[in-house]
Amino acid sequence: MTAKAAILLAASTALLMPTLAGAAPAKPAVAAVPAAPAIPRQADGKPDFSGIWQVLGEADYDLEPHAGRRDAPPGPGVVEGGRIPYTAEALERRASNFATRAKDDPRLKCWVLGVPRGVYYPAPFQVFQRAQDLTLVHQFGNQVRTIHTDGSDHPQEKHQEFWLGDSRGQWEGDTLVVDVTDFNEETWLDRAGNFHGPDLHVVERWTFVDPNTISYSATLDEPGIYTRPWTINVLLHRRRDKGFQLIEDYCYALEYEQFYPHKDGQ
Amino acid sequence: MNRKTFCAAAALLLAGTSPMASAQDATPAPQPTAPGIRWQKEVPAIASAEWTGARLADGQPDVSGFWSNTISNHSNFTDPQAGPPGEPSAAAKLPRDQRAPSRVSDPGDGQIPYLPAARALQEDFAKNFPNPVKPRYIEPLARCAPAGVPKSFMWHGYEVRQYPGYVVFLFDSGTRIIRLDGSPHLSPEIKLWNGDSRGHWEGNTLVVDTRNNNGKALFGRYGDFMSENATVAERFIFDADGKRFNYVATFTDPTVYSRPWTATIPARRYTVADKPDGWHFDVKPVNAPGRPLQYEHYERICAENNGPFGGGAVGVPSDGAVIDR
Repeated sequence: MTAKAAILLAASTALLMPTLAGAAPAKPAVAAVPAAPAIPRQADGKPDFSGIWQVLGEADYDLEPHAGRRDAPPGPGVVEGGRIPYTAEALERRASNFATRAKDDPRLKCWVLGVPRGVYYPAPFQVFQRAQDLTLVHQFGNQVRTIHTDGSDHPQEKHQEFWLGDSRGQWEGDTLVVDVTDFNEETWLDRAGNFHGPDLHVVERWTFVDPNTISYSATLDEPGIYTRPWTINVLLHRRRDKGFQLIEDYCYALEYEQFYPHKDGQ
Repeated sequence: MNRKTFCAAAALLLAGTSPMASAQDATPAPQPTAPGIRWQKEVPAIASAEWTGARLADGQPDVSGFWSNTISNHSNFTDPQAGPPGEPSAAAKLPRDQRAPSRVSDPGDGQIPYLPAARALQEDFAKNFPNPVKPRYIEPLARCAPAGVPKSFMWHGYEVRQYPGYVVFLFDSGTRIIRLDGSPHLSPEIKLWNGDSRGHWEGNTLVVDTRNNNGKALFGRYGDFMSENATVAERFIFDADGKRFNYVATFTDPTVYSRPWTATIPARRYTVADKPDGWHFDVKPVNAPGRPLQYEHYERICAENNGPFGGGAVGVPSDGAVIDR
């Protein structure tokens, strides 16, 4: 199912509800809700995204539509409208990044992938959720993001240039809407050299399609880099393999781990 | 942690082995914005008992929040306030009973009961730590390696978050997910910096069985260590008012030690009653006008910002590809 289809499904499910409610006027409208598959909810009724999630797709290879090439399988692209609306200048840098991607992609150092890339990078991440926040622990590297849902705002001190930005979320019905700001410009958006600058602003939307699938969208905006805001859509799937768990992957340590612990004869 | 605070913390690390660190430390004094590292000499006893404090909805004792160790960083495991190899603190000149006790609480002599070959390896590391002429003599945390077990509890302050089935420790250098669901450990073929942890609550004590250790993190700057054969039986014993806990861990590794031995590392809670200090309590006020003061910790970054910071704790910038996936 494509992201667009998932949204259509969610929309049609929503449309269905009033119909059912209308067919049984003696009951309160909420009685019709069980017609849709129940999604996990917190004690306060908000959706509960706790669990291990992973994308299934080619987004991290290249967000834009692309044929298969040596270092990427083909992909239809996940950008609404197909292409990222770069400014002319930014498009040149993107081309330069693409040319040097085999050595310059920050992922190759196992560094923090940033937001939204960490979400659609093809490795699992675990969501731990409380009423006041969601903690996203990514298996890849040392990436832990807190999405605050306690009504707080971004820090008063600006230009702290976070690797993951600063995430503040709020609920719009059953959709978690997250405003992410104050990035640095060290991270890329994919393996094809798509990029952002330090003034990136991301708005994420997290919505259950069913209990084991999340519709994830991110709208990226940065004047000077992009000519207008643009949006990507991917689906996140719950990892349900028997006994599956995150296994730490501090891959940045791989280049020196052989020196430890102490060994004889070295 | 951003670059600025990391450097400040590094300076504190070297200068702040004890509050009494003096001019013999060639490194800068603590920054004005950080009041310094607050070290205590005493390790209070906390007995395992019933839990009488607050509980979470799933029944776990509520120990969520900010914590940090109370006696010293990882400079010296068995004489915690004496400083790292080659850089003795001012307190190192004082009689031994005027410094915090060894973290080795069993055996009673305060020493790790190494087999002779393992002792020789540890001593070789300590001897070479001040001038690490080979990569193996660089303390791995200086490279931003995960601090692992038990060093994470001797480094910066950290945060505990709890969920049904989980206790999660967020450290500046890595994350530990303690699973409480009774599930089996990973395959013993898999060795990890933080090991693989399965736990349960017994009254006021979080009991954790940690296996799958890779032994690479070392315990600190004297090179104390376990091998990948070690198992660690950890007990986090929380006091009745929720202000402190003792980390009591028994290390079993017949390839390195002549007998199992036990470490005790004391910790205390940090709350809004404490002043942020960039080390134990590296937090910022939550931006929520009109609400009571709360603190939050920003993202924890190390490898991406790492740089040299002097002495034997030499940082090692890493800027090349390390994976091909």
